[in-house]
Amino acid sequence: MQIHRFLIGCAIAGMMAAPAWGEDGTLTVGLKAEPSSIDPHYHNLGPNNSMAAHYFSRLVEQDDKLRLLPGLAESWQPISDTTWEFKLRQGVKFHDGSDFTADDVMFTFERAQDVPKSPSSFATYLKGKSFTKVDDYTLHITTERPYPLMPVDMAAVPIISADVGEGVTTGDFNSGKAAIGTGPYRFVEWVPGDRLVIERNEDYFDAMPEWERIVFKPIKSGPARVAALLAGDVDFIDNVPPVDIARLQGEEGVQLSQGVSSRVIYLHMDQFREDSPFVKANGGGEIKNPLLDVRVRKAISKAIDRDAIVDRVMEGVAIKAGQLLPEGFFGVTPNLSPEPYDPEGAKALLAEAGHPDGFELTIHGPNDRYINDARICEAVAQMLSRIGIRTAVETMPKAVYFRRASRGGADNSPEFSFILVGWGSGTGESSSPLRSLLHTYDKDRGFGASNRGRHSDAEIDTLIEDALATVDDTARLGLLQKATELAIGRNQGIIPTHYQVNTWAGRTGLSYTARADERTIAMGVTSDR
Amino acid sequence: MTVQAEQRPGTGLEAAPRPEDVSVETPFRRFVSDFLESRIATVALAVFAVIAFIALFAPWIAPTDPYDLAQVSVLDSHMPPGSTAFDGRVFVLGTDGAGRDLLSAIFYGLRISLGVGVMSGIIAMAIGSVVGLAAAYFGGRVDTVIMRIVDIQLSFPSILVALVLLAVLGKGVDKILIALITVQWAYYARTVRASALVERSKEYIDAATCLALGHRRILFRHLLPNCLPPLIVVVTVQTAHAIALEATLSFLGIGLPITEPSLGLLIANGFEYMLSMKYWISVYPGVALLITIVSINLVGDQLRDVLNPRLQK
Repeated sequence: MQIHRFLIGCAIAGMMAAPAWGEDGTLTVGLKAEPSSIDPHYHNLGPNNSMAAHYFSRLVEQDDKLRLLPGLAESWQPISDTTWEFKLRQGVKFHDGSDFTADDVMFTFERAQDVPKSPSSFATYLKGKSFTKVDDYTLHITTERPYPLMPVDMAAVPIISADVGEGVTTGDFNSGKAAIGTGPYRFVEWVPGDRLVIERNEDYFDAMPEWERIVFKPIKSGPARVAALLAGDVDFIDNVPPVDIARLQGEEGVQLSQGVSSRVIYLHMDQFREDSPFVKANGGGEIKNPLLDVRVRKAISKAIDRDAIVDRVMEGVAIKAGQLLPEGFFGVTPNLSPEPYDPEGAKALLAEAGHPDGFELTIHGPNDRYINDARICEAVAQMLSRIGIRTAVETMPKAVYFRRASRGGADNSPEFSFILVGWGSGTGESSSPLRSLLHTYDKDRGFGASNRGRHSDAEIDTLIEDALATVDDTARLGLLQKATELAIGRNQGIIPTHYQVNTWAGRTGLSYTARADERTIAMGVTSDR
Repeated sequence: MTVQAEQRPGTGLEAAPRPEDVSVETPFRRFVSDFLESRIATVALAVFAVIAFIALFAPWIAPTDPYDLAQVSVLDSHMPPGSTAFDGRVFVLGTDGAGRDLLSAIFYGLRISLGVGVMSGIIAMAIGSVVGLAAAYFGGRVDTVIMRIVDIQLSFPSILVALVLLAVLGKGVDKILIALITVQWAYYARTVRASALVERSKEYIDAATCLALGHRRILFRHLLPNCLPPLIVVVTVQTAHAIALEATLSFLGIGLPITEPSLGLLIANGFEYMLSMKYWISVYPGVALLITIVSINLVGDQLRDVLNPRLQK
């Protein structure tokens, strides 16, 4: 009897404690992708950067529209043509209680450029800059030429502690030993494939977030993520599959947040090899790489029915693209619009280029990185097959794909001939995709880091470099627009297909400020209580 | 074997009502009439024959070629069963997420599934029987070594072995075949060894040995034919297994290229539409897979009963 009563009591207590989110200050978030490491400088990758933002701060932070906000730096200004001065915030403490000073910044910038085995380095943001500590809370950064994007670059690199960071490895971060930052949350544990747990940093220097404890759960499969939300296993999910949006809108107890991202999905073509490994003549013979011919690239762009991709593959949740960034971002040119679907024009161009019967091609793409990525590859292959370019599709997990796409070929050259990729402009303006995707590949100077087609045009290189050294906004805008028009409109250096639109979903009462950088930041999830 | 039985049901049934006519009662006719005694097995065999026909002749009877990307359009994607395409074709079972006609895709998918299942079954049987026969016939150290390898192989879950192999080898029908053969040969080896051990101690083998016949002749002309009945049962069961395993691997996205979906991949593709009520993309290929595997298993069950000497009347 006694035991019975006890059990019933427990059951009732359990029922009362179990339901509503946040009763105990915990928010459970279902993520499509988990980070590849906790080391904030190991891999410049979306999920890593999202997660790092919880426990590490940066000198400069960015809001949902990628506008700059003070972070660990209170203010910044150019003190000469080539030198920027950053004033650091005082009284900030790391999670282990030590003080934050300019030494930590100096240490971070040195380490971030040289992390062993980094698949994608943060050196891009730090190369060609020299850092000087003026006093404990003042930093000078000097470049050879004027560099207006300095504050944006400083928004990319998470700051770690010099005391803890000396000699640490990526593994030390993953175990939590070195995961000491100044962010709004402190790192608790990471069990890859299962959960990442963080707890609120009660000494945080800025606005205190609402949730005391956050559990991130990786749920890779879209339907499973939606089902977990509907079943109440998680409170909030990112990357709602487009196909489920209509259904969730009609669902009681679910609230959606949606926003255009700064990510363009595009096709990159081999423009540097006469003999490209995945281009063949009809029947499989050798052929001089037709993708070297701008008319063939233009034909491919004309053959792509962007409306069909947006309506049928993306369920209407995307915006068709004709350049590097959607309307409203800095550097967008009014002179470029999405190439209209014109299969007849495409065939004519192919014939003009000497390929009236087309050729054979393989498109490579990831199958777990972008929204519906594998299905877009398949749709593109269908559309190219219709104009005579018989296209095979090969998709693979991102872990394999990006390594091979960037340096899987001979001498660490890009392996594939024709690929589907995306680029999110972290700076919120078009110099980021221009310098990484369309500037001539130049590893030492940090240009063309993701130029996997090796598009190269001296005129465009000059425009990009001039833009990066132009402080005057109007003049810089003109240069960026001109570079975009030449690289895409004239050269077809890449073929943009669409801009992603991202959707998050949470239980009713939880709202999220959709971010243009696609990040899922728990500080942005707020309840209406 | 099964096809022959299908072609000659009449003779078997005619033989049955005249048991006094002993000269007609050959082992094969007896086998056919025994098999046809079970109505469920007969129906299953007929269903399997239809499926095999569809698989063999898919390119001629499917309304479209789902693997020719020039014939497939995303504009037709995920249309419900019975819809009409803009060029007037009717999608009897609807279309999948890439705009493929599901009926055609299922026909072609059956072709891949059955082809892979049967091919891997035959090759694995060939390897397994030779190895099993050798183990039983030579005995001693040969037997020990071979059977320990078989034990090790069988102690790994087959899906795990296949996953690892495909991760190393990459995608493609040939790679799937290699993976399926690798996980299956051990079952055949064990089965053949067991029955060969029994047969080996019988007089006719001693007689053959006394005649100083070569090893090869004894193994393949005397021993193997007498080990066939249990082997046939294992073949049917393992073929069904192989088909299910291929579907599983494709469902996990590591089997075949996405532009040439087998049944498993069709089901996986439709899975993401389940919550939005577009059931047909997963359900119809699933039903096709189910019917195939169940019919093969039913035929296998009946074969086991018919070929088992202990159950013979």
